[in-house]
Order: sequence, then C-alpha cells, then structure tokens
Amino acid sequence: MLEVSNWIMQNFSHASDAMLIFQDDQLLIMNDLAQNLLDQTDVDTNYLQQLVLTYLKRNSNESDDCFNCAIKNQLSDITIPLTINSDGKEPLSYSLIHRQLSSHENVYSITLKSADARERLDQLSVQHSLIQYINRAHEDERKQISEDLHDSIAQGIFTAIMGISRLVSQQTTASKTDFAQQGDLIQNQLREVLNEVKGMALDLRPSALDDLGLVPALKTLIQRLQENTGIQITFINRLKPDITIPNDIAIVIYRIAQEAMSNAIKHADTDEITLLLLTHDKGVSLEVIDTGKGFDVAKMNQPNGRSLGLLNMNERVKALNGVFTLESKIGEGTSVKVEFPVISAHLEVS
Amino acid sequence: MVDPVQENNYESLVEEIYQMSHYDFVGIALQNSDALGQIKWRYVRGNTSQRYQRIVLRNGLGIAGLVLRTGQPFYDNDLNRKPQDFMYTPITVVEKLTSAAAIPLLSADHQQVTGVLLAGYRHGENVSHETISNLRYYLRRA
Repeated sequence: MLEVSNWIMQNFSHASDAMLIFQDDQLLIMNDLAQNLLDQTDVDTNYLQQLVLTYLKRNSNESDDCFNCAIKNQLSDITIPLTINSDGKEPLSYSLIHRQLSSHENVYSITLKSADARERLDQLSVQHSLIQYINRAHEDERKQISEDLHDSIAQGIFTAIMGISRLVSQQTTASKTDFAQQGDLIQNQLREVLNEVKGMALDLRPSALDDLGLVPALKTLIQRLQENTGIQITFINRLKPDITIPNDIAIVIYRIAQEAMSNAIKHADTDEITLLLLTHDKGVSLEVIDTGKGFDVAKMNQPNGRSLGLLNMNERVKALNGVFTLESKIGEGTSVKVEFPVISAHLEVS
Repeated sequence: MVDPVQENNYESLVEEIYQMSHYDFVGIALQNSDALGQIKWRYVRGNTSQRYQRIVLRNGLGIAGLVLRTGQPFYDNDLNRKPQDFMYTPITVVEKLTSAAAIPLLSADHQQVTGVLLAGYRHGENVSHETISNLRYYLRRA
C-alpha cells in the first residue's frame, strides 16, 4: 500500500499539468511543474485562489445571464481559461480546472493544463484522421481500378478471344462474308477495350498535363465527365497566354478541379457545373461553381469523409502558398475557389 | 449501323411503350454511325433532365452496359442500393430509377448489338422476366 502511495506521489510530482492542492487558504502541496510556473512567472497562489472564488461566486449567482450555461453544465469541474504573461513577450494559455476534493474539510485542487499542448493534440488528431482518409481514398481508388480492369477490360478481352477461337474453328466451313463479319465484330470489341484502357489511363494521370499543359488536360477531363455523367460542364478559360504555371501548381489545380467536380456530381444533384480559370495581377485562380443543393459549411467542420476531402484540398493548396475558399448555401449551390501566386520568389525557385 | 426506317420505328416504339404501360422511364440507346461509334440515348420518354443527351454508354457498366457487352437481357430491382462509382453515372442513376429492365437491339443478321431498349420505375415497383418479355413483345411488333 505504501508503495502504491509512493507511485501516486511520483505521478503527481512529475505530471504534465501543474497541480496545486489547497485547504481553505493554505497551500498543502504542489507538484514540480506548479513550482516552476510560480517561480518563472508573476502568478502567485493568491491570484489563482481569487480567480476560482470569483468564478464560484458568479456561478452561484442565479441572476447571471449565462449564455453558455449549456456548455458549463456539461463540465463536472469548473474550468477557467487563463492567459499568463499576457502583456509579456510569450503569453502562455492555460485552462484552469478547480476540483473539490473534500467539501467539509474544504480541500480542493487547482490544475493548470497548457492550452498550447491541447491545441497541438487536437491538430495531431485531425492530422491522424486526414492520413486515414488519404489512405482510405488510395485504397478505394485501387479497388475502383481493379474492378474496372476486371469488369471492363478483362471481360472485353475474354470475349474477343472467344470470338477468335470461333473464327479459327470455323475457318474451313464458314463463308467468306460470315468470316469477314466475324472479323469485324472482334475488331469492334477490341476497339472498345482500347477506348476503355485509354479512358482509365486518363482517369489515373492525364498525360496531357505533362505534354500539353493544364488547359488541354482540363478540357479532356471535362469532356470525359460530361460523357460519363451527362452533366453540362462549362469551361471559361481567361488564362493569359504568356503566363506559365509551375508544374506543381498545375497539378494541384487539376486535382482540385477533379475533386470539386466529383463532389458536385456526388452531392449537389446538379445539371450544370461551371469552371472558371483566370489570371490576376500576380497569380491564377480556379473556381468550380455548381447550382445544386448546397450545404451548411459550418456543419462541415466535424471531421467526416467529405470534410476531410475538403481539408485535404485545403492542405494541398496551402502547401503551395495558395488560398482555398469554399462558399455554399443550402439551395444556392456551392463554389470552390483556389488562388495561387505565380510570380512569387518562392515559386520561381522551384 | 441502324437504318433510318428502323430509327423512325424506334422513336414511335419508345412513345408507344411509355403510353401503353406504367414505366416511369423508357429509352433507346443507339450506336452513332460516325467513326467513334459511341452509343448514346437517342429516344427517351419520362426523363427528368436533359442529362441523358450527353451520356456515352460504357460497355459492361450499368444495366445497359451489361446488355451491350453480353447481348443478353438484364433486370435489376436494387438499383439505388448499389454502391456507386460517381465518376460514371449510368442512365438509371441520372434518372433516379429504383428498378429497370433492358433488352438488346440486334442488327438485321442478329450478329451485332446495335443498341439497348430500357424501361424502369422510380418508386420501388418490381421488374422481372415478365418485364423483359413485355419489352420483347413491343419490340417484335415495332
């Protein structure tokens, strides 16, 4: 038992949050981190106690017009946001947690959790879900390719092989016209397979993007999407001919166009999409606008498949110093816009 | 590929089937006679949008695609429960059909599939072998 108490004590002293335990006005014990904090900043124990007391007083005041009571009621302990050194060079954000340990002896603890650390954790967790999302998207893409290969290409080739073997077995008996007709049939089948293979290659990575540039690649993508979905896609290209878009940016613009159009096809229930490619003073922008259902942008802040897709787009744009904006209203459609500086020093280096 | 007289027949066939039966959507897709030989929806009734005009059928994908590939009739009652590849939305998705049946249109020598006749419902009505027989009946009379 004594050993266990030792461990608990050890844990307390080296905890990653600053903890202080009081009885009435008297400080009973504090851990190493709390000691450091008191030593290195102008905060003293009195101030912390006062902070808690005023909060308690305010909370017990029933006339308080508390607009965030719903949130407060969910917290079992009192939590107070606190910034130390707010006028100094390095302000530190904490959340102060008051916990009653014994009410009749009036023993309570004050814990200071570093908000910076918590924010980093939040970021880390978003990063984790983003990585998971990307992995899943990769996996889905492979699945799609595998299915296409199997359903479309393999079946097509199989049919052609069957046709040829029939041709071979009938070469002595069949009439010349029958033979020619059968040959035509097989040729047609193989031509279809060829088209499918070309289409799949295009879906994966348009060679036009490397060979001919962004605009022809976008035009090919648009034509394919129109033929596949029947949605009318209007492409307005106002790119100045003398501007050269760095390859990295061209690829991201292409992918954003692809993702935004695919989102519109999946979710917007729209018949029309407009793509706008523009040159500005110091950069280029792409806008993908649909007149579909639209959605509540605020609700997209919880991580789910779709919001992670948007987050992923945003990250890709940010990595190249671009700006990603999303506007949507229920019933009024959605507009995705990306802007990139093109003549900045950073981009000329790469 | 498809002679003009037959094309005329197809137009009135779609009209007739749509008028005489309770299908929510009836359509015929035919191969273009140009070099590309794309297959597109040429005559439709009961459509909810003009999207059908731009769709190019893909061999082996969707009900109509399966009919094209195999030359055999197909039907499906679970259209909206299938996971969808949104990069290709066949007519059943575009027209929000819940069930559909389709039969092949063959060239005069019965050697080549030149098109598809498809009919379907939007509100969960079932299709079956009978639907296929029904479509075949209309096609024979055309």
